[in-house]
Amino acid sequence: MAKTYDYLFKLLLIGDSGVGKTSILFRFSEDAFNISFISTIGIDFKIRTIDLDGKKVKLQIWDTAGQERFRTITTAYYRGSMGIMLVYDVTNEKSFENIKNWIRNIEENASADVEKMILGNKCDLDSKRQVSKERGEQLAIEYQIKFVETSAKDSLNVEYAFYTLARDIKAKMEKKQEASNPPGGRSGAHQLKANEPQRKPTSWLSRCSVL
Amino acid sequence: MSEVENKEGPAEEEQKDYVQDGRNKYVVKCKFCGSKMLDKKSGKYMEAEKELPLMRQDNNRKEGEIQSETIKEFYHVENMYTFENIGFTHTVANHKYLSCADCDAGPVGYYDMDTKHSYVAISRIVHS
Repeated sequence: MAKTYDYLFKLLLIGDSGVGKTSILFRFSEDAFNISFISTIGIDFKIRTIDLDGKKVKLQIWDTAGQERFRTITTAYYRGSMGIMLVYDVTNEKSFENIKNWIRNIEENASADVEKMILGNKCDLDSKRQVSKERGEQLAIEYQIKFVETSAKDSLNVEYAFYTLARDIKAKMEKKQEASNPPGGRSGAHQLKANEPQRKPTSWLSRCSVL
Repeated sequence: MSEVENKEGPAEEEQKDYVQDGRNKYVVKCKFCGSKMLDKKSGKYMEAEKELPLMRQDNNRKEGEIQSETIKEFYHVENMYTFENIGFTHTVANHKYLSCADCDAGPVGYYDMDTKHSYVAISRIVHS
């Protein structure tokens, strides 16, 4: 069967234990009488299909929960990954400080041009907050990585974060493609027309502020 | 699975209004939240008898017991990237179970680690 999508991106969720990586991927809530079979086993990865500027993009999103106790994620997880969400918990100072260690781990193991984004999760728990939004922004500037605060519990900015990361990967790939197929070169190359109107992102996404 | 493969194909078309040319005629969605799992015509209809754990396990069941039922109709999906939205659980006895990517309801089917093929239980999804 013919390929039914334009791009396939492998994404990873990385960060200390307990920062809510699994909640970002997994939303099920238990009821009092039954236990869900799925939540007992846990999710390894999800496939999601999104539309990015008219292109059909498949995201394969991996949770690394359970691995992080080794302080590093094994190279196997990094293999082929094109985007990484670095997650910390705004109510846990240590998890924020460890973002630097995770970045070092990525630099040592992942492909050099992997796209990254920092997520300050649990921003709904304002009374317990230990890390200000400004400090998150500052760290992001330091590493020149995009940043957004999220609440997996309230589904705040989670979808936005995935769209943003995916869009950055796509832009990088198209730039590479362009470099290897310069305009006016061989015919048949996939070239973006300069006058092609850019699609506006979904309305609620545009309201979020990021760096 | 050879016996299973034999039953694939357009032979069932006459009896099942949701099957056309041996494939799903309609979009496959989650029963609970409507999340789109498969596009039209992207799964091959097949009949096979396979035990699948119940979506909800009784809290009073015996320890270690898994309550399951026999599923008889599936959509066979050869490439996992054919799915629009789907979750894969950790591996249990050479299977990964499939779940809704949006509300995590499941298992809605299973993924075979040997063949790398997926099987969606028709009784656990809705067509639209």
